[in-house]
Amino acid sequence: MNPLALLLTLSSLLFSLGLLAVLTRRNAILILVGIELMLNAANINFIAFWRYGPPDPELTGPMFVLFSIAIAAAEAAVGLAIILMVFRHTRSTDLNRLDSLHG
Amino acid sequence: MIIPLLILTPLVLLAALGAVWKARPVHAALLLALSLALVAVLYLTIGADFIGLVQFMVYVGAVAILIVFSLLITRPGDEAEEIQRRPRSMVTGLICTLPVLAVLLIALVKGNPESAPAVDAPPLSIAHLGELLFTTHAPAVLAVGVLLTAVMIGAALFARDTEKPKSNQPEK
Amino acid sequence: MIFATVPFPSFTLESLPQLPKLLVEWLLMLVGAPDWLVSIGGTAAMAGTVVGVFLSAFALLSLVERKTLARIQNRLGPNRAGWFGILQPVADGIKMLTKEDIVPTKAEWLLHLAAPILIVVPSILALGVMPLGREWVPVNMELGLLFFFSVGALTELSVFMAGWASGSKFPMLGAMRAISQMVSYELPLIISALGVIMVTGSLRLSDIVVHQGDFYFGFIPKWNLFTPWGFAAGLIFYIASIAEANRCPFDLPEGESEIVAGHMTEYSGFKYALFFMGEYLGLFAIAGLGVTLFLGGWQAPLPFLGWVPTWIWFFAKLAVIIMSYLWIRGTFPRVRIDQLMRFAWLCLIPMALLTIPAAALWVFTGKGIVSWVVTVPLLLIPWVILTILFNKRLAPATRTYTFADS
Repeated sequence: MNPLALLLTLSSLLFSLGLLAVLTRRNAILILVGIELMLNAANINFIAFWRYGPPDPELTGPMFVLFSIAIAAAEAAVGLAIILMVFRHTRSTDLNRLDSLHG
Repeated sequence: MIIPLLILTPLVLLAALGAVWKARPVHAALLLALSLALVAVLYLTIGADFIGLVQFMVYVGAVAILIVFSLLITRPGDEAEEIQRRPRSMVTGLICTLPVLAVLLIALVKGNPESAPAVDAPPLSIAHLGELLFTTHAPAVLAVGVLLTAVMIGAALFARDTEKPKSNQPEK
Repeated sequence: MIFATVPFPSFTLESLPQLPKLLVEWLLMLVGAPDWLVSIGGTAAMAGTVVGVFLSAFALLSLVERKTLARIQNRLGPNRAGWFGILQPVADGIKMLTKEDIVPTKAEWLLHLAAPILIVVPSILALGVMPLGREWVPVNMELGLLFFFSVGALTELSVFMAGWASGSKFPMLGAMRAISQMVSYELPLIISALGVIMVTGSLRLSDIVVHQGDFYFGFIPKWNLFTPWGFAAGLIFYIASIAEANRCPFDLPEGESEIVAGHMTEYSGFKYALFFMGEYLGLFAIAGLGVTLFLGGWQAPLPFLGWVPTWIWFFAKLAVIIMSYLWIRGTFPRVRIDQLMRFAWLCLIPMALLTIPAAALWVFTGKGIVSWVVTVPLLLIPWVILTILFNKRLAPATRTYTFADS
């Protein structure tokens, strides 16, 4: 097994784990945990292809990961602010209970 | 080169599995931090030093802290309920996740990365990265700056207490 | 004759701290060890030197702090153990080691155990990239400054772990205070360091020191502190570093009159000693970084003092900074949490952001008279406006004491 295949396998498994977390968790904050795992799986792919793929003088892979990390941080901040706002209104972060618009 | 990766990969996956599996929310968040820190170590071992350190700083220093802090503020309910309903949610979750994993792995096998020629990228040079960042990617950097400013202001507005602030002074 | 084949490498006063490393390497070569073993042995000796030096500095400081505070408060301080209490750190150490290690029943033992260890490790790692002398840079990393801040980020998580794993009220409250304070003050800390990076053009800490090497008019050192943007950034860095090190007047996380000992309440014995150690090593690391970034690191302050070994200058500057921390601790009252947060977000962060354009203008206009004319108003006018605003409108409401005032 060469490093590229290993890293790609890692990234696929990590992505699936993140998806599983998003699908099974009910706490909104823990769903964010799953989303962070999926974002990281994508980042690993970029770094793996930059390192072991064809030569890339433009550094597209690391560059994309840098922006991805910046946006992930922004997303976490906004997501948690929204969750706290919801929590203040409903006293709960359980997504199954946030159904007041449910007909 | 491959041996450190072979050690790190299962560790990353185990920590991520714990983050998904642990019923107690704080444990899940701490295991997420561990998993992401191990990914940062993985970046360091394959030569992307700058990315690894940035990953460590942003994820362990900021995102994980944000997550545990909001867990503390919201005080999520007890984990007994979570464990009780776990079998059902896990079945549905796996039904949706396994096909995705299968597609990813099939694509991986078909793509045959084993056949890729072994090239060694030169180590990540910060000077080069910075130069590209502020020439080719300057508009993107500006856009990210605007985004982060908007996020900071937005989060501050969201998180502000909408009720009337209580003053320190006692009623006269 | 095997002894003749490996001559002992020469060393001077300048490279005196390298002596353990050279000694270990020489001994290993003498017994004919393979190359990789020699290099590992040398690195281990080097790391051991740094850790040993800072641990003895920690022991010394714990005594000096108590003595200084006692002097400020018109007391004698510890004076029973040894000559002028010089053996007090040893006595403290023995006491800490022999105390019972109590883990509360509600605590999670693994996280409870991991927290004190994870507080010490990042401080030691951060000290490892510091240029302690011209030839004494334990690890000369290209990304030294980024590495310093990255490992520093681990401290917050370990404080959280300590507070949460104790399973008790005061540690939790203390940890929440500590985290919000550290996150708020880390921003001005990092932002004020950005100006230095821009002017130097390198993240390598030894490059930053070398860049501050020259003298103006032959006697004023070209340290970053003696430039308009560097003075502002240095001041912000100094204030933020006091808060990062959780020291008075920003020691709310462990304010003993309010929440016992904050996140360390449920710790005892050796684990408590580890917290103590991590705090002091973190203090050395952050003060050392301030010295490196703004006070010229190991550079001599006057041109004719160049013959003194450079590592002496580093430690002298470090001692001055740390003594100023002690002085502040002895004289200032503790601030309130709302004052603390307001000060960070409304005063320190805007000013820290202003030092970045100021540093850019400084380089752009050629670091001469013009630069002074341009950058001084850029920093001074907002500062005056902020001060007026802060004193008038933004200042926290003064507390009125219903019974004590009348």
